[in-house]
Amino acid sequence: MATYVLRRLIQAVPILLGIAVISFMIIYLAPGEPIDRFRSGRVSPQTIENLRRLYGLDQPLPQQLLSWMVAFFQVWRVDAWGYSFTDGQPVITKIAARVPYTLELMGTSLFLTVIIAIPVGVLGAVRQYSWADKIIMVLATIGYAMPTFWLGLVLKFVFAIKLDLFPLFGRHTYGDDSIGDLVWHLVLPVMTLTIVSVAGWSRYMRSSMLEVLHQDYVRTARAKGLPGSRVLFKHALRNALIPIVTLLGLTIPSLLVGAAVTEAVFAWPGLGGMGVTAVIERDYPAVLAFVMVGGAMVILGNLLADVLYAFVDPRIKY
Amino acid sequence: MESTQLGQIPAKATTGAGQGAVDEVDLTPVRTYWQLARQRFMQHSLAVVGLIVMAILVTLALVVPTITGSLYAKTSLSLANHPPSLLNPFAPLGYDSIGMNVFIRLVKALQTSLFVGFSAVSIIVVVGITVGAIAGYVGGAVDNLLMRLVDVVLSLPSFFLIVMMVALFGTGNAIVVIVAIGIVGWTTAARLVRAEFLSLRETDFVQAARALGAGDRRIIVRHMLPAAMAPVVVAATLGIADSVVVEATLSFLSFGISPPEASLGNMLTNAQEFFYRQPILILYPGLTLILVVLAASFMGDGLRDALDPRQRVRK
Repeated sequence: MATYVLRRLIQAVPILLGIAVISFMIIYLAPGEPIDRFRSGRVSPQTIENLRRLYGLDQPLPQQLLSWMVAFFQVWRVDAWGYSFTDGQPVITKIAARVPYTLELMGTSLFLTVIIAIPVGVLGAVRQYSWADKIIMVLATIGYAMPTFWLGLVLKFVFAIKLDLFPLFGRHTYGDDSIGDLVWHLVLPVMTLTIVSVAGWSRYMRSSMLEVLHQDYVRTARAKGLPGSRVLFKHALRNALIPIVTLLGLTIPSLLVGAAVTEAVFAWPGLGGMGVTAVIERDYPAVLAFVMVGGAMVILGNLLADVLYAFVDPRIKY
Repeated sequence: MESTQLGQIPAKATTGAGQGAVDEVDLTPVRTYWQLARQRFMQHSLAVVGLIVMAILVTLALVVPTITGSLYAKTSLSLANHPPSLLNPFAPLGYDSIGMNVFIRLVKALQTSLFVGFSAVSIIVVVGITVGAIAGYVGGAVDNLLMRLVDVVLSLPSFFLIVMMVALFGTGNAIVVIVAIGIVGWTTAARLVRAEFLSLRETDFVQAARALGAGDRRIIVRHMLPAAMAPVVVAATLGIADSVVVEATLSFLSFGISPPEASLGNMLTNAQEFFYRQPILILYPGLTLILVVLAASFMGDGLRDALDPRQRVRK
């Protein structure tokens, strides 16, 4: 297992290199130069030339790429990813400062998704074609088709404006740092994210459970007289959960990278919103770091899913 | 009902005892793969509903903006905040806060969305098929290289990359949005085509074509591609829904199509600004989006059952 993980981590390096190449290419091909935001009538050509040298833009592109790759892995150095163009903060510090906010939003939503979607999916599968199942499927289909940001708008309108139960946006009331205030602000964005992902997860869970319920070993368990609940939870559910691990792996990156759209709708100070702002502001050091962190999270998420597979399914060996 | 097996033997001689007749022929008409597929699609009622809804939406999006011309961007402050009224056939959904006709604008936005959705999917399909076909047909080092490229693109934070491309290459430009969605989205199609090609390469009919002296291009285009299209068609149909939502999201975040051009996303941005005056305006673009997504995904499900019975998911 350890060698497997190590091998996968080594394989991740060329993929990260590829990601760096693609983001460099996009920036290189885009009109203008990264330091264009510093140009103005009062900035002398000499200063621009110095800036170009400072950011290594006078070097050949492969050289720039290489030094960025080396810098990316030196996470222990605060200045490794450079300084933000907008506020002069080290990019690493800026990203690290947003991680807790993103985690509290995405983590709460993921937790709720798991504890709601799994029972709902199981219910749908066990009582297939019943009224409950039909209602679940209709709701899940609609929920799946709903664009996240639109759902956010509707929830905001209903719960924040009409009923005035929850705040419109933000993470805290100014000057109030209590947990209660935080939870109060969390409700609507978490609800938005959870509704959309429960719709997807419960459909997935239902079809996975149906698949398992038709297997021979479930019939055997029933035939030898085991009580229904034991068959369901001990034999069927445990196997039906295996594919859910894949879904979990796909969700891991968003735990840290955040949900840019939901964060934008609710002005949540998470990483996703930071990435979008960085693009708008042409904050190139932050943009590059954001793409790489996002890519690294996808790779780690896939790796984690594969490792978890081996734990939940003893047939899989690495 | 006919069995859903692909390889039917239409004219099978029955040798039943007592029948006597040796060459009694099954007179069921020979039906091609596509005829069978159409039959299976038509039996999938949700898919038919999806197809009808999509046809209505496409017709609306083609006809209404042609008739109304540039009215979708016309503002008239005297009509601002006019409520929806079914009695007014010209403006059944009323006017928004700067006096734009909501219905005309909505249909124009639908046109933009569908245009972006279909164009982006065309790019995805063309790039995906090209890469997948080359990888699967040539194999070896080329295949390896292309598949590593697929790995890289799959590991990219896709939505963020689209935002980045649109922001750097021209906000508000539909073509940039389409290309950005296409560049990020072709990997699934490429993987599907590659997988089909890897198995098709060894089949008898391809070997026969090669033995008859057909060139690589002819084998790929005439023999292998038609046989490999089924999963791509399904993925493309489902891809329309994704692309439409991505475009709406981009425009909502004011990266995509910007006013006065109409998009379902920028209509929502606008509706959000006038939340208190006319909350109903957030309803129309959202419901239209849901309709497009549902129609495309029902069609996709139906096509999967119809074209690719092996991949049928248990419902």
